Order: sequence, then C-alpha cells, then structure tokens
Amino acid sequence: MKVTWTLPGGDTRMAEIEAGISLMEAAVAHDVPGIIGECGGCLSCATCHVYVDDAWADKTGEAEEFEDAMLDIAAAERRPTSRLSCQIQAHPDLDGLVLHVPEE
Amino acid sequence: MTVWTPGDDGYADLTSHDAFANGVPHNTFSRLRCEDPLHWTEYADGQDFWSVTRHADIAEMNKNTAVFSSARGIRMEDQSYEEYLARRTFQETDPPEHSQTRMKLMKAFSRTTMAQYEEDIRQICVDILDDVLEKGTFDATKEIARQLPMRMLGRIVGLPDEDLPWLVEKGDALIANTDPDFTTHVLDKLDTDEFRMMPFNSPAGAELYAYAKELMEKKEKAGDTSGILNMILQPAKDGSVITDTEFRNFFCLVVAAGNDTTRYSIAAGIQAMCHQPELLGQMQEGGDIWDTAPDEIIRWATPAIYFRRTATQDHEMHGKTIRAGDKVLYWFASANRDEDVFDDPFRVNLARSPNRHLSFGQGGPHVCLGMWLARLEVRVLFQELAKRISAIEPAGPHRFLRSNFVGGIKELPVTVRMA
Repeated sequence: MKVTWTLPGGDTRMAEIEAGISLMEAAVAHDVPGIIGECGGCLSCATCHVYVDDAWADKTGEAEEFEDAMLDIAAAERRPTSRLSCQIQAHPDLDGLVLHVPEE
Repeated sequence: MTVWTPGDDGYADLTSHDAFANGVPHNTFSRLRCEDPLHWTEYADGQDFWSVTRHADIAEMNKNTAVFSSARGIRMEDQSYEEYLARRTFQETDPPEHSQTRMKLMKAFSRTTMAQYEEDIRQICVDILDDVLEKGTFDATKEIARQLPMRMLGRIVGLPDEDLPWLVEKGDALIANTDPDFTTHVLDKLDTDEFRMMPFNSPAGAELYAYAKELMEKKEKAGDTSGILNMILQPAKDGSVITDTEFRNFFCLVVAAGNDTTRYSIAAGIQAMCHQPELLGQMQEGGDIWDTAPDEIIRWATPAIYFRRTATQDHEMHGKTIRAGDKVLYWFASANRDEDVFDDPFRVNLARSPNRHLSFGQGGPHVCLGMWLARLEVRVLFQELAKRISAIEPAGPHRFLRSNFVGGIKELPVTVRMA
C-alpha cells in the first residue's frame, strides 16, 4: 500500500509499504522526521503521534484505552484525529493513506 | 586489534564485576557481535545465560515481551520467587500489568511536563558550575555530574534539599552494590543473606523504606497530595492498588535509578570532551547540535549496561534454541557500539543522526520513564558548561565503577580553563 506523510513545513514523504507492519515502523524505516517510536510500538512513549487526514479518519478507526491515555501525554496538541501510528496497521484498505506529522 | 578497553583480551568474563572495572570490555563484545551473537555464557554464581550483543537482535527481542518476559527478574543474579516478590517494581512486570502502573506516572514524566523544568535545571547548573569551575582542578563526577540529578530529584519527588545528600548516598549503596567505594555490603562478596528481601539485596533499602514511610506520613498530615509518590499510590484503571512493598521498591527505584544514570551520562560526556577536544568548540557553536548531542552523549555513556529477560517458551535464533526458562541478557552497552548501526561507534559524534542507541531500552515497553528528563538535564548542563570554559583536560586517570550492570565513571579528575 502507498502512504504519504505530510511534514510540519509542508514537505511530504511517500512510501510503498507492506501490509501487516505498523505505520510507526514504516515511518521509522523511511526516516520520516518527527516519528520516533521509542518504545517499539508498546504504548509506552507517544513519540509516533500523527493526525490522520480527515478523509481517512473513519478507515483507521479510533484509539483504544491505553492509546487514548497515551495521546494525552503526547508532546504536540491532541486533536480529534490524533492517533499513535504504532497502533495503525498497514492494510490494503488503507492504500493511499495520508498522515500529518505534528509540529514539535 | 584496536584496543578500546585496557586489560580486555576479547575473552572477558561477563559475569565478573572486575572485568568491567576498566570500563565495559568492548573488545569482548566486539568479538561476540561478530563471531557468536547469541552466546551461551557460563555463570559460576548462578544459572548460565544467553548473551545477546547485536543491536538488531536486541531491538527485535525487546518488543517481544510475550516470549522474553521481565516478570522473573531483570538482573543477572538469580532470585528465589519470594525474593523476587519482595523486591519487584513495575520494571519486573510485563504488559498489561506493566502498562497499568506506568500509566499513572506517564504524565509526570512526559516530554511536555519535563520541558517546564528547563529553567529550574538551568539555574541549578549555573549554581553548580559557579561553585566548582573556579577551583580549576576537581573531580567532575563528584562536583558536577553527581550534583545535578541529585538536586533535580528533590524537585521532582518533592523532597527537602537537606535530605538529598543522604538519600543519594543510600541510592548509590543500592545500585552500586558491587563497588566497595559505595557500600560495605558488596553483593558478590556477601556472606549473609540477611538483606535478600530488601531492594537490591541491600541494607540501604531498609533505610530508604523507613524514610519514605515517614515522608508519606508527614505529607498526609499536611494534606499534601502532590508529587509522583502520591501518583503511584492512586488506584490503577482496573482498580488495583500498589502494596506497601511495591511502594517501598518504587521509592528506592526513583532514588537509585533516576540518579546515577544521568550522573554517569554527564560524566561520560565530560570524559569525551577531555579526549576529543573538538567537542567543546562544537558545543560553543551551538545551534542544531543541541538536538542531537544529548542522545550521543547518552549513547556514549550507556549507564544501564544490560537488562535481563527470561524466555517463556522455546525460541530459535542464530541456529540455536533458547529454551523456556532460560535467562537472556540484552547487552545494551554492546548494541550501542554495533558497527552495523553506528558509523565509527567508538567516537563521539555530537551531530549523529539518526541515533538509534538503546541506552533507554528503546524498542520495548520498559523504555526509560525518565528519558526526557535525562536528555534535558544533559543538554542544559553541557550548554552551560561550554559557555564557561575554554579548555578541559584530564588531570589524572579516571576510574570506573566496579559493576557489570551500571556503567559509570566514578572518579573523573579534570582541569578546566575559564573562558
């Protein structure tokens, strides 16, 4: 599937990624600035925070309990479309997904 | 062969604290990464174990908590089940139990909460440096590195300044429990098991516990419900409450672990400045270097040399089988010098980016809770130090802690010239 990250300055990064990996892992593998993933996707750090593009928010679903609590401590402002990208799995249905990387 | 660690012939006994007394035996780790990345390590004082030394392997295993559990202990030394229960903290738990406890503390240690301490930290740094730099020659571990985390501990936990030296002394006795400079109860030379139910198997654990108890009673009387100690006492989302024993152990963990790790990061950074004089100039130039320098200093230091896990099921790796029940050690100190991940790993490169070091146990749920505080303290300290000096050099040999668990320069004589 194809994914696009838009960076705070307006730049974008695009990548073709395999189904099954998380969007955090994909971002780290493609050196997307601002997506760190310190805890490897174990819901312990909130350093893979993204805003899901409005057009995709329904498809990526909502944060579960732990993720929801973690989003409260993320460095950037929380919005209705906030997700931790380690909790979004790449899937053919998400082909074309657009994620916005928050400002520091 | 390049000699990184004097006295290490490439075959150091990783179970021996003495093998780390000249620093981490990097020649041995370098050989293991290359020849035997999953190394069966014989341990005369307990159950033999697997040593994992490559960055990629540790990163992969660290997130696999279903197979590699923290819930049977995190140190090389074996514990009976009752000792384990008596001494455990949330470090010795797995998700989801671990997540329940951690959630209570997350906010207090988040990046945004920590950022609010920056001015406090800067003021403490200024006080420390104003006091010590004019001496010209001094022990940088004792006079600088030890001071900042100790004073910040007081702010974060809410402890009176006058108690801090005593607390840190006790914390050192706990965590440096294999170095005779820090404790009279040297762990691997003990002939008593009197303290085996105490945190870190140390009598200092009992004293810290008494202190914490008294502190909380005082706070309760005064109606003071602030601070991280009260946070951990709150019921978790599932309604569970921490036991007295767990609270005692948590307090010891905060005093010990939150302190010496940042201290030894700062010490390692100062040692690097002595041996790579170009670093001072780069710091003085400033700018973007401060986005990357703290992590590089913390990679260089790697204060937590290893953490241990226990396999819950058989696991195949590098043509060998890790059996259920086997101890597995993640040697972070080795991963942080892995040539496959770090260009020129034995040099400090303050601009290193990306810097996928594992000093905080990145890649797993136990990633250091205090990492944002650590990074902030390291950045501010070096910013203030670099402003004030024009040169720094060794004033004698530095000495490492006698420990295969905590990597640290315990004595660092330096001479500075003021700017």
